[in-house]
Amino acid sequence: MLSVENIDVVYHHTVQALRGMSLDVPKGKIVALLGSNGAGKTTTLKTASNLVQLENGHVREGRIRFKDQNIAQLSADALVHQGLFHIREGRRIFSELTVDDNLVAASYALKGRNIRPDYEKIYSFFPRLKERRKQVAGYLSGGEQQMLAFGRAMIAAPEMILMDEPSLGLAPKIITEIFDTIRRLNADDGITILLVEQNAHLAFSIADYSYIMESGQIVMEGRSEKLRDDPDVRSFYLGVGDEGSERTSFRDVKHYKRRKRWLS
Amino acid sequence: MQFVQFVINGLMAGALYALIAIGIVAVYKSTRVVNFAHGYMIMIGAYLYYTFAVLLPDASWAPAWLSGWTPEWVIAGKNSAKMFSPAAAFYDWIPNIPRIIFGLVCAILGSGLLALIIERFLMRPLLGQSNFSMIMITVGLISVLSGFKSLFWTGDAASVPHLTPNPAFRLDLFGTPIFIFGANFMSMIMAALIFGFIVYWLRHSSAGVAIRAVSEDQSTAYSMGINVPRVFAQAWLIAAATGAVAGAVLAARDGVSPSLGLFGFSVLAIVLMGGLDSFVGVFIAAMLVGVLEALVQWQLGGTWVEIAPYVAVLVVILIRPYGLMGHPEVERI
Repeated sequence: MLSVENIDVVYHHTVQALRGMSLDVPKGKIVALLGSNGAGKTTTLKTASNLVQLENGHVREGRIRFKDQNIAQLSADALVHQGLFHIREGRRIFSELTVDDNLVAASYALKGRNIRPDYEKIYSFFPRLKERRKQVAGYLSGGEQQMLAFGRAMIAAPEMILMDEPSLGLAPKIITEIFDTIRRLNADDGITILLVEQNAHLAFSIADYSYIMESGQIVMEGRSEKLRDDPDVRSFYLGVGDEGSERTSFRDVKHYKRRKRWLS
Repeated sequence: MQFVQFVINGLMAGALYALIAIGIVAVYKSTRVVNFAHGYMIMIGAYLYYTFAVLLPDASWAPAWLSGWTPEWVIAGKNSAKMFSPAAAFYDWIPNIPRIIFGLVCAILGSGLLALIIERFLMRPLLGQSNFSMIMITVGLISVLSGFKSLFWTGDAASVPHLTPNPAFRLDLFGTPIFIFGANFMSMIMAALIFGFIVYWLRHSSAGVAIRAVSEDQSTAYSMGINVPRVFAQAWLIAAATGAVAGAVLAARDGVSPSLGLFGFSVLAIVLMGGLDSFVGVFIAAMLVGVLEALVQWQLGGTWVEIAPYVAVLVVILIRPYGLMGHPEVERI
């Protein structure tokens, strides 16, 4: 459904954020994108939703195709109308608008698509939002704000959602709820999901396929079960050393960026 | 009881300030750009009204229906009406209707076109750059628009027809006579209606939600599928249309002259006092300043009128830097 083909992204014509980044998200699947801070995960999502241009980022090489059409010709809002919705990092709800109005704003995604926004569906999905529908969204708790961010995505009736760290700054109990929601969106509505996540455990538990990024490119990929059992991933991303072995110093941990690849 | 007379005068002046302020607030709310040139856009609107309501209909080649509409009953009514009565003012106004409508429509269209050009060619290329650069452009626009005005029109003051009949009413309130000019009163009503309509529209329509969403977070508005440049264009159009009406009203009250630009410019202080992003706050501020000016004129004389309101503005801003009802940012603590 979404294929990122060998893109280079440069901010302000000087800072290179992505180099030769490629990934592929098949229809109806959940794909996770993992990596440390600054690896370029968020930039990948922003490039896929065409928001990167607003931050002075440019795609220098490569292309991104959504539903077999090159997104370079589409503006960010037109891409949303095509069915690609981006839930941004840090939720980014409109904090001065009420919960209701946040959803109304999202209904702009339906322009020209002949779908009516189904607000009641959102409120039955998230009853807590219904209690607060007239409240200014800035005063919602973090969990409620994330629900609202999901609610906006659901109003937009997308075919695919890019999710940027939905677990950011939330309590473990709420994170579980959020991930249940993601599963439901995928299973019930058949929405394809590309998930960026710091919490590797969670991501592996939900995704069919995972990619691991480091300094702007993919260093590892595979089915989630396979990655989860990989010794390097276990020690580096899951913080589990091999049983019985000594504690290893961080210095000795293998860094993937050092690995010689034919691309770099 | 002179007090009441001056309060009424103040409210009528304040309504006009409010009408001008709509445009500044509308543009600020959606684009976060303080449009310093709004007063000069109003001036252009006033000159357009002057051109299409006075110059064109008075030209020798203009069609007769445009320069005056005098059916039999108007002439008859005029002859039977008493001099200076409301009826006489009404019959005086009727023949002007075609030129008023023509002038107003053309002024609104012309200002709208000007605003779209400004938005498309000066503002949109700067999207994503710092707001400061856009604000500096509006400062530059002041000179451009004044120069543009001198290209087409002379600097001489001229008078234009009022939008509504202009009878002078005399009321007796507890023995003190109070004078009200019909046109001023009607423009107060008109300003309040336009103002009310726009505030209602922003609160309760989905287009209003889009404007508020864009004002808060442009890139997230994009990711909701909102066509941000179109929202900007909408805001500029609102500013242009209300500005053209304000220009026409101002021109009818004070005459068309280049000083209209400066007058509009001074409304910026009122907008700051009300809070740049609050229509209601700006309306209250406009009324307050209008009344304050009138009362100062009454008690202290004309020389104080120029500065008194600005001192008030300064005091308010010192106490509430974001204005009377401006939004300090919403943040969950």
